[in-house]
Amino acid sequence: MQQEQITQLIRDEYAFFLRERSGWSLTAGPQDLELVAHALRVLLHARTAPDFLADYLALVDCQNTDGGWSPFSAEQESTVWVSAFCSLMLIRGNRMLGHERLTQSVRRAIDYFLATQHPDGRWVDPRWADLDTTSHPVSFFNVVMALGEPYRRPDIQRAWEQGVRFIIDHQSSDGGWYDNEFHPSGVEITAHLIQDALIADLVIENRVRGIRDACAKGAAKLYELQAADGSWDDENVDHTMDCTRSLMVVTRVLGDDHGREIITRGLQWIINVKNPQGWGDFPGMESNLERTCDGLDTLLKYQAYCSTDPLAVVRFWGYVP
Amino acid sequence: MFLKSTRWVVACRFEDLPPGGRKLVKIDTTEVALFNLNGVIYAIKNRCPHRGGPLIRGVLDAAGGIKCPLHGWRFDLRDGSSQRPACATTYSVKAEGGFLYLAV
Repeated sequence: MQQEQITQLIRDEYAFFLRERSGWSLTAGPQDLELVAHALRVLLHARTAPDFLADYLALVDCQNTDGGWSPFSAEQESTVWVSAFCSLMLIRGNRMLGHERLTQSVRRAIDYFLATQHPDGRWVDPRWADLDTTSHPVSFFNVVMALGEPYRRPDIQRAWEQGVRFIIDHQSSDGGWYDNEFHPSGVEITAHLIQDALIADLVIENRVRGIRDACAKGAAKLYELQAADGSWDDENVDHTMDCTRSLMVVTRVLGDDHGREIITRGLQWIINVKNPQGWGDFPGMESNLERTCDGLDTLLKYQAYCSTDPLAVVRFWGYVP
Repeated sequence: MFLKSTRWVVACRFEDLPPGGRKLVKIDTTEVALFNLNGVIYAIKNRCPHRGGPLIRGVLDAAGGIKCPLHGWRFDLRDGSSQRPACATTYSVKAEGGFLYLAV
């Protein structure tokens, strides 16, 4: 796969993404906040966040009084999964934007996550599996800790460690993570959890035993589950993007060269099933903005993954300055 | 008081949906997923209320449920009910003259 091809695809898809701005920007009116968070991630990775300060501030404007966010901007009941995604985009965006309102918003979000964790370490959201939900505040706290945010640090460290333990304790002996109700195949959830747990291990300084081995087993499980055409989960575009991206950061951190072939095959499949503009949820389906954001994010991460700087792709998860 | 009248529209030929089969049809601008479970036809809007996943690609279970392929929300094909925060839209179906009709 030629880098020129990737660069051109990124350019074309980013232009399409901008043309569709009214569909994801809070400056255009109420929005689905999961989609907004996907879009803000594209802005971060395209390094154009400073041109969109109004979008970040608009996300602060719809933060609920408890510090969380709702799935839709016009609602007021917070849920964990979307709150973690929004707060992660704000703390990472604020590294470029340096805005006091974002700093305060992130601190209110920290309060929200500390207040909503269950005694066994999990976070719960009726829209998502508990393991998947838990991985999101853990991921947010990874970045909070990695960036040196001083606010309530001992509380965060404790909550974060409990969250990681909950994740590691629920890994199956075959290396995958499963949820019989939401994710029986285990593909998407394993992709999410190996990246978050492994990075937690880097930042938490090996205080939870066995994380690297657990993540290596999880990655091996994903290798095993990849179809010959490069996709995962019966040609599921969303899950194939999840696996491809996750393996980029996990194999980089683990120093696992075997992953390159798997990642390249996954990316080639993703490019092959792309519509003239954007991606749908399965091959042949109409494009939607969320999947298009994921596709663009995958291309941007692949570009970083191919960089000579070994930390370039890790930066795309916000874990190193 | 105004009552909304039921409009029956042709979905497909009955023979195009054999037992065990599934078929995607478009009624006006709405995609509807049809399933034939042991001779009983079910129709459900092909858009999961969670993240819009295509239910036609979902996993069926023995209890008459369909699970979205994206994030696993399960819906009862009979009435669209779910244990998740939102339900799916289902449609009444009738077979007549070799065709399947949906009530919209």
